[in-house]
Amino acid sequence: MEKIDWDAACLRLEDYLRAHGVEPRERLLSLTLEMLREARSLHAQNPSMSPLETTMGLAIGKTDAWFSALAEKPEHSARTRVAFFSPPIQMKWASAFLLPSPPAELLSNVRSIVIEAGPALDFQSVVRKEMDYGAMKDIARETWDQFSWSHVLRAFALWVVLFFVAYGVYLKFFS
Amino acid sequence: MKPFPRADGLPADVVSLRQALFLATGVGLTACGILLMVSILRTDGFTPLEWVLLAMFVPLFGQIAFGFTIAFWGFVVLVSGGDRYQIMRTLPEVDDALLPGSTAVILPVFNENPERTFRGLENMFLSIGKSPAGKAFDFFVLSDSNDPDCWIREETEWFQLCSRRNAFGRIFYRKRRVSLHGKSGNVADFCRRWGKRYKYLLILDADSVMSGETMLRLARVMDTNPGVGIVQTAPQIVRGRSVLQRLIQFATRSVGPLFAAGSNFWHLGGGNYWGHNAIIRLKPFMEKCVLPELPGRSAADRHILSHDTVEASLMKQAGYQVWFAYLEGGSYEEGPPNLTESLKRDRRWCQGNLQHFWFLFAPGTAFTNRIHIFFGLMAYLTAPLLVLFIGLSAWDHHWKAKFKLLSALSGDPASAGDGQISATLLALTMALLFVPKILGSLYLLPRAGEFGGAGRALVSSLLETLLSILLAPILLYFYTRFVILTLLGVKVGWKTQNREDSWISFPDAVQTYWGPTFAGLAIACVTLIWVPTLAIWLSPVLVGLMLSIPVAMWTSSEAAGLALQRARLLLIPEERSTPSILENLDLPAPPPLITPHEGILHLAISPEVNAIHASLLRRSRVHARHRGEYLADLRRRLLVDGPDSLARREILTLLWDAGAVELLHREIWLLEETRLNPWWRNAIRHFNEASIAQGRREISEAGKYRPGAAVAGGSQIRA
Repeated sequence: MEKIDWDAACLRLEDYLRAHGVEPRERLLSLTLEMLREARSLHAQNPSMSPLETTMGLAIGKTDAWFSALAEKPEHSARTRVAFFSPPIQMKWASAFLLPSPPAELLSNVRSIVIEAGPALDFQSVVRKEMDYGAMKDIARETWDQFSWSHVLRAFALWVVLFFVAYGVYLKFFS
Repeated sequence: MKPFPRADGLPADVVSLRQALFLATGVGLTACGILLMVSILRTDGFTPLEWVLLAMFVPLFGQIAFGFTIAFWGFVVLVSGGDRYQIMRTLPEVDDALLPGSTAVILPVFNENPERTFRGLENMFLSIGKSPAGKAFDFFVLSDSNDPDCWIREETEWFQLCSRRNAFGRIFYRKRRVSLHGKSGNVADFCRRWGKRYKYLLILDADSVMSGETMLRLARVMDTNPGVGIVQTAPQIVRGRSVLQRLIQFATRSVGPLFAAGSNFWHLGGGNYWGHNAIIRLKPFMEKCVLPELPGRSAADRHILSHDTVEASLMKQAGYQVWFAYLEGGSYEEGPPNLTESLKRDRRWCQGNLQHFWFLFAPGTAFTNRIHIFFGLMAYLTAPLLVLFIGLSAWDHHWKAKFKLLSALSGDPASAGDGQISATLLALTMALLFVPKILGSLYLLPRAGEFGGAGRALVSSLLETLLSILLAPILLYFYTRFVILTLLGVKVGWKTQNREDSWISFPDAVQTYWGPTFAGLAIACVTLIWVPTLAIWLSPVLVGLMLSIPVAMWTSSEAAGLALQRARLLLIPEERSTPSILENLDLPAPPPLITPHEGILHLAISPEVNAIHASLLRRSRVHARHRGEYLADLRRRLLVDGPDSLARREILTLLWDAGAVELLHREIWLLEETRLNPWWRNAIRHFNEASIAQGRREISEAGKYRPGAAVAGGSQIRA
């Protein structure tokens, strides 16, 4: 059972590293083996956690620490993490992921990318002004204040009756 | 031709003379129609119903008379060597390196196809980058998308584009938390945040593309004319695949230029704004063009839907001119893929245009803007008016059994006494409707080579006319419905336009078009039984209505559209020689790994997508315990019960919290597979298979590895 658990942990770790762009097999395997060894010793100290939780907890912790070290300031950690995934850096430096001492060129490249969703805010008050709609607005307001469908129906009925009366008068006397 | 140095040097008498000519032509033609109608009606005395019919006839005939007038003056202008008073003629010769005023190019998006939007943006960025003056332009994608998958894809596309083109700091992506007031609210939000940093705002739609040269010329024309507030271009409809798209793109090239030139002829600096593919002077726009509230009872009633016409009116009131750069090339957009999408857009426009009624009588509105507003109103109001007119005419005929109105419409020589006048009125009506099409074809002939040759251009014009005749009754039916729904207070919101899938299936066509089909059949039956002659004269309308289902389906067909393209029909110049700005817009997107929720999958699993998303969110400084518990519960449900267990609102809540998104990423990698929902297990397998396949593909491409049957999954990670 434990063998299967460690296999599952190994596969998950490989997937995790590959998701970070660690594609060269040699680097992938060496990192996996190195971390699995460490995870086994941690698991021996704390067997209540499953091999997968131990391994992945270790991998995620190392990843966080590595990105923090990569950032110039701790508050830039998230930005550095994004910069690491930009295609030019991934293409050249993906294998450097989790290297204890990242190359200086990678550091400078990652730190030089400024990811901005927008320029610095420069707030402008955009205030709505009252619009003068003229007499139509007053007429409409008066109508709406007293509006109900029964009024509309009554008015409609009245006009229909008036129309037919007028038409009748016309047919009777003027046609 | 004498030069036109600056827009504020426009002689007042030119404006007055042109408007007098325009109105005299339109009013004169309308008066002719009214006189002919009166002559027909008074043959045996006016009945009250006929007075009503005459009152309805005036705006109906007026609309086609003024439509003709615009096209006529446009034709006169175009064949006489062009208009001296065009805003782009004020452009001086300048050094290409001279920087124009700082310009923000904005693309407000709402659940649009991110791949297509960003490809267009990339082309524009590269195009403007060819000029040293391109540094004056920054690009903003202003997202209001509320589809989580779309949101994630937009961010990823933005990041990939910026990385690919080293465009961080030049192309920005802003997602709005509260999508208040649709597109106009989105633009207003941009103005509040960054409006002060720029002099001009170049506003585009998600499917708009504009060449760098055009952008630069627009900014320079604004620099040259400080009294100009807005310059609107006439975007060319391109990339038509379905029959309807090809029809629209051809029409905008044949009769479109006539209407554009004719519009500029009469309004000059009092033009209109279409809401996109236009450049705006930001300072007066922010100070004077903030949309007012409409008179209304609810907040929804008070919100202006179609902001563009109102903004043009407010800009004019603020003392700035609004020009139409109708001959400026390099400005493109795409047409709706099918009739249903076109009608959905019309539904919104109808409600928006009817709201403009308030501005028609507002003190301070300029005369030209009142005309624009009036034309916009009549574009939809004439539909129910025409339906009523036809109905009352039929009633009149039936009761009087003399078919006077019918002869007025048809020129029926059999009707006693007024046959000749009726024929004249019919001829005049037909001339007003179809002469613009003929003029359009004549204008097109000297450049027929660009449209597939003279013969094919003429056949295309005929085809376009024929299809327009078939489509007109369907539009009449729906516009009538839209006006009634709007007047009854049924509201519409800002909906995503489907710009991709064109085909309307038979069940969908039946569901949407059973109304006009039924109306056509019913009217045909009633008229055939009681007024058979009327049925004959109404046959063009009735045939259009009865054929609405097959017409809607056929015009939505890409296969038929491509067949027309192969036959070099409804061709446009861009199809013979594609401008670089339009290249690569059709590149196929990688197939999705899983649908729906592909965006959620990447957000949770991919460290790249997760990091991009989290980095774009503002981190909350306040951590309320109950909120943390709520978010933890959402994460648990998402992972254990699957994405379908969460409402869209809940997914969006989770996605708006940077901490929650990062925790989600950790948790999915930490959790045992057995504790995850089967959807996740399947999704993760797809993700990993794609990841492995990608790696092996790269090795294979380097010639080092031959993938065997064991390589699973052919898909590619979108990120």
